[in-house]
Amino acid sequence: MNPSVVNPPVMNPIDLFSLRERFNQTNIMLCFNGPMSRSLIEEIGNALKNYLTADQAHPAAATDVFGTYIELTQNIRHYTHAKAWSEQDAGATVVISREADGRYVVCAGNLIEQQDGEAVCALVDQLAGLDKAALKALYKEQLRKPRPDASSGAGLGLIHVARTATAPLQATLHPLPDGRAFFSLRAVI
Amino acid sequence: MQSFETTGTQSTPTIRANWEEGTLFMEGDSYPENSYEQFRPVFDWIEAFLNTAGRPLLLDLHLLYLNTSSIKAMMDIFDRLESAHAAGQAVSVRWSYDRRNERVGELAEEFREDCSFPFAIEPSA
Repeated sequence: MNPSVVNPPVMNPIDLFSLRERFNQTNIMLCFNGPMSRSLIEEIGNALKNYLTADQAHPAAATDVFGTYIELTQNIRHYTHAKAWSEQDAGATVVISREADGRYVVCAGNLIEQQDGEAVCALVDQLAGLDKAALKALYKEQLRKPRPDASSGAGLGLIHVARTATAPLQATLHPLPDGRAFFSLRAVI
Repeated sequence: MQSFETTGTQSTPTIRANWEEGTLFMEGDSYPENSYEQFRPVFDWIEAFLNTAGRPLLLDLHLLYLNTSSIKAMMDIFDRLESAHAAGQAVSVRWSYDRRNERVGELAEEFREDCSFPFAIEPSA
């Protein structure tokens, strides 16, 4: 018996096999963690489109998943750009998976100031209480507001994602020791 | 002002503005991070056409997916057409799409709700 199979090498603590098992069990189609450039958003988006085609997703469902991915990642880019954070802090964590019932799930997360995180969680909670007609009215109202300055902008995109989703959006905020937090959003399409 | 043409990319549409014909053609996806830069020349061309050409203007659209930033820019364009229409100018929109993707039709329909000028939404076979 080869002992290296039983005992993973100490110098390489990343167990790719169990990571892969986890991805497969949870039907993860695509995941990304790290600094996210504009071109990377496009390239990953392109891969996502191809996966959805291969998965025989209905064109409308593919548009919904792709659109949700674009809005959430561009929101993160706008936010971290406005904060002028380092490349590493400006990263995003994105996971796109498929539920057992066939629905797609788009999750996206990023570092955020605690205060901003609380505000966006409050907005997500507010959106969760609105039906489709109320979301549409809010969306049209937001669309007609003057362009927000660089510090905000999450409003319209989030409302759009809430309209696209088939279930209320779920947001979580994990406070971090440095006073910031990790914000994550889950949209079921 | 004259005609211009911009070749599309993965995230930006192909745009052809024809001054003689009075047509503005746009085709493809639009999801740049900053749609304002992309749509500025389009908006300027429409503004110049409406102010000086004295002829009907047709927007011939084959747009597919738009991010919210592009939707906002398109709304500005339709608002400008609406004010031209209110002033008695002949403006119209024709938005063609593949009927297999009803999201495009729904997107066009939401724009049309706020417009009173001729706005045709044409699903292809």
